[in-house]
Amino acid sequence: MAAIEAAELRRTYKTHTGTFRRRAKEIEAVRGISFAVEPGELFGLLGPNGAGKTTTIKMLITLLIPTGGSARVLGLDVVHQAREVRKRIGYVFGGERGVYERLSGYDNLRYFAELYGVPAREQKRRIEELLELVGLKGREQERAEGYSRGMKQRLHVARGLLHDPEVLFLDEPTIGLDPVGAREVRATIASLTEAGKTVLLTTHYMFEADALCDRIAVISKGSIVAEGTPLDLKRGVAQGSVVEVEVFGIADEALERVRALGGVVAVAIEEREQAQVLVVQTEPDVELTQAILSHLNGSDVGRISRREPTLEDAYVALVSE
Amino acid sequence: MIVAARIFFVGGLTSFRALFYWLTPWIYIPTMLIAPIFQILLFAYIGRSAHLRSDEFYVIGNALQYSSIPCLFAMAQSIGGERFQDTLSAILVSPAARIPLFFGRSLPVVLNGALVSAFSLAVGSLILGVHLPASSFAPLALVVLIAAFSCTGLGLINAALSLRIRENAVLSNVIFGFLLIFTGANVPLDDLPSWMSTAAQGLPFTHAIAAARKLANGAGLGDVGGLVGAELLVGAIYGVAGFLLLRWFETISRRHASLERS
Repeated sequence: MAAIEAAELRRTYKTHTGTFRRRAKEIEAVRGISFAVEPGELFGLLGPNGAGKTTTIKMLITLLIPTGGSARVLGLDVVHQAREVRKRIGYVFGGERGVYERLSGYDNLRYFAELYGVPAREQKRRIEELLELVGLKGREQERAEGYSRGMKQRLHVARGLLHDPEVLFLDEPTIGLDPVGAREVRATIASLTEAGKTVLLTTHYMFEADALCDRIAVISKGSIVAEGTPLDLKRGVAQGSVVEVEVFGIADEALERVRALGGVVAVAIEEREQAQVLVVQTEPDVELTQAILSHLNGSDVGRISRREPTLEDAYVALVSE
Repeated sequence: MIVAARIFFVGGLTSFRALFYWLTPWIYIPTMLIAPIFQILLFAYIGRSAHLRSDEFYVIGNALQYSSIPCLFAMAQSIGGERFQDTLSAILVSPAARIPLFFGRSLPVVLNGALVSAFSLAVGSLILGVHLPASSFAPLALVVLIAAFSCTGLGLINAALSLRIRENAVLSNVIFGFLLIFTGANVPLDDLPSWMSTAAQGLPFTHAIAAARKLANGAGLGDVGGLVGAELLVGAIYGVAGFLLLRWFETISRRHASLERS
């Protein structure tokens, strides 16, 4: 039995605009996705902002009811057996909010230990263990308002583990962290599967998914566009090349013309210091540098380079399709 | 059972500490201890100048009614504050039984409301020279506690609405105004239009204020048993309605993602 199973999972939202003449609009956040996570696996749901990652996780942790399809966690239906699912899962979300700022780290954990029914005589030992695990030992009596983002994030992780859940859902746990803080959180996540936990991680960092996950599903616009081990995904886009052109003020029309060129796989604009960099992925054995430059009339062009594709390019290619 | 009791008592107290961190002495003393005295003095002096009722009438009415400030606002904050701090989803995704979870949050609110009323009653009486018989202290304390319980029941409905609306403080102010006029705190029920005095029978404080006035005039607890029971019943009905409303909003939030909206 899979630890997590999603079958044709779908979620639409209805929003309204206007005050007097209200108009309803339906948004499809998740469009019938299916995947399975085996026990003890660290599965990554990778996608850009707004791809449907958080909506998917909210359905799996019982906070949202799907509008179509079904999902089971440890064989339990997330809609009809919500309370049983909640007892067995932990949920960690990213960002520095979501903790009680004026309570100490210890009291934050103690409160949730009560909510998860951790027996009083075990609470102290359990909290001590988790403080050790997430590296907050010695700072637990300080109010959470004085914690750095990374410390708050690690407090989230400890909270999600209080009741020793079999399955853990981590929603962008390193978002907004500095490199050191993010590395510490990633080290904590890596230790979870060593302890036998099943983990579903959402992130929009390709390198993070690559470093941590056994398998990855890339989600874009509510649909899964690729699934496999990190190696599988790299193989899929290892061919071809990337042309990078430093430009200053590129027009949208020029960008569209480059995108329409034959042999172009994906086009992205990256901001690097003062300049924009046009990143064009091309098919193998196609030389497009001159063709690209011919469409950049009117823009100041700087350095031009050609290189092999990286994982980041693979990800951009997948979510740009 | 032990888990539920711990969520009720320990969880309730911890969440109160977590959500009312801003309630420093600099805010608490002027809002909870000085403002009710102003209210008592205002109505007592209006009563004196217009030759209406005794000081005792206004001290008791306003001291009890003022606990609506902590009971309505704090109860709404105890749920709405979770939404503001982004801790609500962490609470709702926990398997904690909802009865101790939500009612546990009301216990510190009831105790604080009773403390505010008792303080206002004691200080208001001292300032205006109102004599309360010593034999009435214990039964008055009980009635003050029941009045705070009753209003906290109404506060639970207010708390449930905070899951759907952001402007909950506005609603709390409107309810405070209703209670000031309708419950007989400053105008005897007999002098109100009949529809208002009828509506008052279903509001917190109406029966508690009547009971407290009788106790201050020498009646025993047994003499006001009916009024105390009615006040308890009103509070219990509001409390149950508030809880059911909370559960309903929680359920529809799963369907409509309404907790994410402003």
